[in-house]
Amino acid sequence: MLPVLAGLGYALSYSLGLTGLLSKGITFEYWQKALTSQSLWASFLYSLSIGLVSVFISLCFAVSMALSWNKSIQQGRLSYFIFLPLCFPATVMAFVVLQWLSPSGWFSRIAFELGFIHSLNDFPNVVRDFYGIGIIFCSVLLITPFFTILMSNIYRNENLLHLENLSKTLGASTSETLRRVTLPILFQKSKMTLLLFVIFVMGSYEVPLILGRQYPQMVSVAIVQKIQKFNLNDIPLGFAMSVLYVILVVLVLIVFGKPSRKYLKPHFK
Amino acid sequence: MMSKILKYSFVLAVVFPLVFLLGLSLAQQWQFPEVLPQQWTLQHWGNSLFQQGDILKSLFLSLGLSLSLAGTVSVFAFFMSKHIAYSKHRQLYMRFTLVPYILSPVVLAVIFQYYFTVANLSGNFIGVLIAQLFFALPFGIVIFNNFWNEHLKSIEQLSFTLGASSRQSLLKVILPLSKPAIVLCFFQSFLVSWFEYGLTQFIGLGKVKTLTVMVFSFINEANVFYAALACILLILPPIVLLYMNKKILILAR
Repeated sequence: MLPVLAGLGYALSYSLGLTGLLSKGITFEYWQKALTSQSLWASFLYSLSIGLVSVFISLCFAVSMALSWNKSIQQGRLSYFIFLPLCFPATVMAFVVLQWLSPSGWFSRIAFELGFIHSLNDFPNVVRDFYGIGIIFCSVLLITPFFTILMSNIYRNENLLHLENLSKTLGASTSETLRRVTLPILFQKSKMTLLLFVIFVMGSYEVPLILGRQYPQMVSVAIVQKIQKFNLNDIPLGFAMSVLYVILVVLVLIVFGKPSRKYLKPHFK
Repeated sequence: MMSKILKYSFVLAVVFPLVFLLGLSLAQQWQFPEVLPQQWTLQHWGNSLFQQGDILKSLFLSLGLSLSLAGTVSVFAFFMSKHIAYSKHRQLYMRFTLVPYILSPVVLAVIFQYYFTVANLSGNFIGVLIAQLFFALPFGIVIFNNFWNEHLKSIEQLSFTLGASSRQSLLKVILPLSKPAIVLCFFQSFLVSWFEYGLTQFIGLGKVKTLTVMVFSFINEANVFYAALACILLILPPIVLLYMNKKILILAR
């Protein structure tokens, strides 16, 4: 905690004009600028939306796979393949997505060969686009295997198969069992991890650096760009943004309590 | 039948990025709209591994950095986690350990950078190692937290009752029992460092050229063939770890 507090102290004093190249004594000017800056809030909201959408899509895929292939994920050969995407660092996955989805990428070439497009420009802009489709696609590829394993472990540890059979014996249909037994338990047990992943995606740096655009920017990229810019007036603003981001994340941690990694914990014997 | 088709499609989708990267690293010329490269070559691999040696240097630098971090984290986390686990304020300390872990590494790098510049630690190996330690040590403590329990505490107390000194108890009782936890912590810290880019780039000022930094510099140069080659080298160690133990991978993400 000490290094984080020391770092925060420096960032806060820089953003209040107490230190740094343009330091003129205490001023709230940069904080006022930061809090009224449209691009800052756009950046936070954009990052939050990307995080929420990525986690939601991953969750849908992960729950479907965990429920359909639960046995194969736990024991069969599929158990090795489900882990394979976890070997990909975010940088590598972002590079792969760029090579697939860019206008001169592999999918664009296939679309050209099949006659769907007639030039590079005809291919839809899905990387470095306004809606962050490339970032979401990459985040989904990175997160889904993790969620699948998480859901599969919850399914096994909470003995959901037994509960599902019990529910059906008591007269519930398959869809009722899914809606009223399986999904609520899976969600209840994983909600903290899901929230943490929203924060992870919000704070991701490598993926938006490769697949994002200048506006709107993900929060990490925006902070780094503000601090590394040649415009010295932007540096205190960047530090104010970083302090705001840290406060936001710590607040979430305090409000929602200790995240449980029970279902991913190793068992030492 | 449908389920089998879906399973095979899934396996294909999972393996395809690896095959794609391998193909790209072996390509020499690949102009639009060709679906497959027009020319194949082993030249990039030969150049990288035997002639120019930039990628090879980065590989060894990344290995050195990740192994040093993994070793340091394993030792420090082992002792610190014991004190935390048996402390009255265990819950509070454990919450603190999650703060750097949850914050974006690059945001941490931004707020640390001043101190690293003042201490002359920016742009060198030791600086990056220390910066990664701030991020990975709490992670190591989280891993060990599950290991220290009442059962282990009673075994340790039993060894004292039977006349063992603190040193003997540590070396002959606790360490042999903690081998799986230490191995897990070592490999997970290794992967945290191995996957890291933002913090390394920011504190290393681009001078500490790990493999992830190299991938970015190849992407910026639009040198996709060498970027793919560096990506393959980045994926290989985690795949080896996957073969050794699946659990090692899951907590590192």
